[in-house]
Formats: sequence, C-alpha cells, structure tokens
Amino acid sequence: MTESSPRRARWLVPGVAAVVALALGVFAFLQLPSPSPGARDAAPLLGVSLPDTEGQTQSLAQWRGRLLIVNFWATWCAPCREEMPMFARAQALHGDRGLQFVGIAVDEGPKVRQFAAEIGLNYPALIGGYGAMELSKTLGNSMMALPFTVVIDRKGSIVLTQLGPLTPAQVDRLVAEFI
Amino acid sequence: MPRCSAFVTCLAALVGAAGLGLYVGAADAQLKLLPAEDAFRFSARALDSRTVEASFAIADGYYLYREKLAFSTPTPGAALGPVSLPSGKVKEDRFFGRVETYRGRVVVPLAVENAAPGLEVTLRADSQGCADAGVCYPPNAQSITLTLPQPGGPPGPLIDATPPRKRWFN
Repeated sequence: MTESSPRRARWLVPGVAAVVALALGVFAFLQLPSPSPGARDAAPLLGVSLPDTEGQTQSLAQWRGRLLIVNFWATWCAPCREEMPMFARAQALHGDRGLQFVGIAVDEGPKVRQFAAEIGLNYPALIGGYGAMELSKTLGNSMMALPFTVVIDRKGSIVLTQLGPLTPAQVDRLVAEFI
Repeated sequence: MPRCSAFVTCLAALVGAAGLGLYVGAADAQLKLLPAEDAFRFSARALDSRTVEASFAIADGYYLYREKLAFSTPTPGAALGPVSLPSGKVKEDRFFGRVETYRGRVVVPLAVENAAPGLEVTLRADSQGCADAGVCYPPNAQSITLTLPQPGGPPGPLIDATPPRKRWFN
C-alpha cells in the first residue's frame, strides 16, 4: 500500500495520454466519410432528358453501355471552363473506344452555346438551368458547387462522383479501368 | 502491471494515431469545403438615418468576384444611391479576361434614398464566388432587414444574414 501512491502517479500521465489518444482516434475514425456503399445504380440519372444547344431533347439513356462521364458545369465557373478542353481532348482520343462525355450546364442556353463554340466542344452540352444543381445534389453534390462529375461504367453503375476538377491522370485511369 | 500499463498506453496511442492519420488522409482526398453561406458571410448594419453598411467576411481560401457583387432594396419607397465598390485584386482569367476579386473582408457603405427614419429596409446582396480548391458556388442572393435609426441616434446592431452555427471541430 505504501508504494501505491507513487505507482499511481507514474501511471497517471501515460494513462491519461492513452485515454486521450484512444478517444481522439475513435473520434477521428467516426468522422471519416462512410465508405462508399459500392457502385450505385445510375438509372435515375440515365432517366434524365434535357435540351442540347440546338434545343433538341437528349436522353442520357442513349449513352448507356459507354463509359459515361457526366460533368455538371457553368460558364460562371472558372475551374469548370478550365477542365473542359481536357475533356474534349479525351473525347477525341477515346470516343471511338466507348468514352462519352456529357456536360450538363447549370446555366442559360445562349451562354452555353457561346462557350461551347469558343472552345470547339466536341461532346454534348445539355442545358439544365438551376434545376441541374438540384439534380447534382441528389447525386451527392451536397455543397451545390461546381464542377461536379459523375462517372457511370458500361454496366450502368456510378463508379465515381467528384466535386472539383478531374485531373488528366484521373481520366486516363478511368479509361484504362472501365473501357 | 506496469508492463501491462505501458502496453495498453502504446496500443491506445497507436489506435489513436492510426485513426487521426486516416482522418487527415481522407479529408485531403475528399476536398473539404464550406457551404457558401459560411464561406461568404454577409452582414449589415444601419450607420445612420440614411446610410447602411454592408460587409462580407470571406473565409481563407475563398474569393468573391467584384463584378458579380450587387446591392439593391426591394423595400417600397426606398432606393439605394450609386454604389461604389472598393477595388479588388486583379486576376487574369483565361476566358473572362481581367477580373477583380475580393478576399478577407469587403465593406461597402450604401446610401439609402427616400427612406424615413425608423423605416425597416431590406438590403439584398447578390454575390458569386469560388474556392481556391477549384470549385465555384452559384450566384447567390441574401437579404437582411435593418431598421434605420432616428437622425442623431446611435447606429443599429450588426445583423448576420446567416447566424453562425455552432461547430465543434470544423
């Protein structure tokens, strides 16, 4: 019993440290985004139809069976405008192998038409207006910011959703993995 | 027992470190962002019977476009005088050319015309901004209703468009 006090004191610091470390670790782990519940069915998105720059209604379902990269963008979004020429290059390079980019603009028709012509866009630009932002929210864009991209594999499963620009390396990896 | 204690300590520390490591790694990959109303906090106060002061507190790593910032009032009978926005930082945009942006804090005094003292005036701010992380938020409209003080009276309180939410860890 005479030794118990110093011993207790000796254990106090590491003991408290242990409890704090464990608590921090458990807390941090609980804060992790929950692991993706595997590939999600893209059927609701593939069921969407929107007008293109010519005013023709286009259904996303027509591109079922291709590696479909749906990019929500707007002319008021500089990072969106910056990544699109890279998408156009990838479309030109891999389009005949089954890669299909589709842009959904959270924007107005005339602005979309002008920008598409400016950069010589070679994939469909659909005009979604502000409703497209709500659509992107249902796909995981809780911040309602742009660009937001959804990748659907050939079987119709969502394999990636990303807020913020895609890198060329990411596009290359998607092509390598899913085409 | 001391060995046991040391072992438990080490184990707990390891678990803790691993958890934190995972958390930090995941946060990087997930692009942590603020919702627009927290990234661009709009507030205003009535300075005197004919002037209100609008301000935006912009979070670090975020910016607002000067040319997209506009103020108006839907209050019948009231009108804003000519708005003079402070100059921003010039940025060359590949597509939009020369644009000016605001970071940190922007304060804009606004003259309210034809408004009677004691009148409740609604001030509307239209703004649009982006995060350095590489995303932009859509154009946003926020409103604050202020009561104009009597001539010679004290300025009104600062009113936030979005009262700050209690956040524990971010």
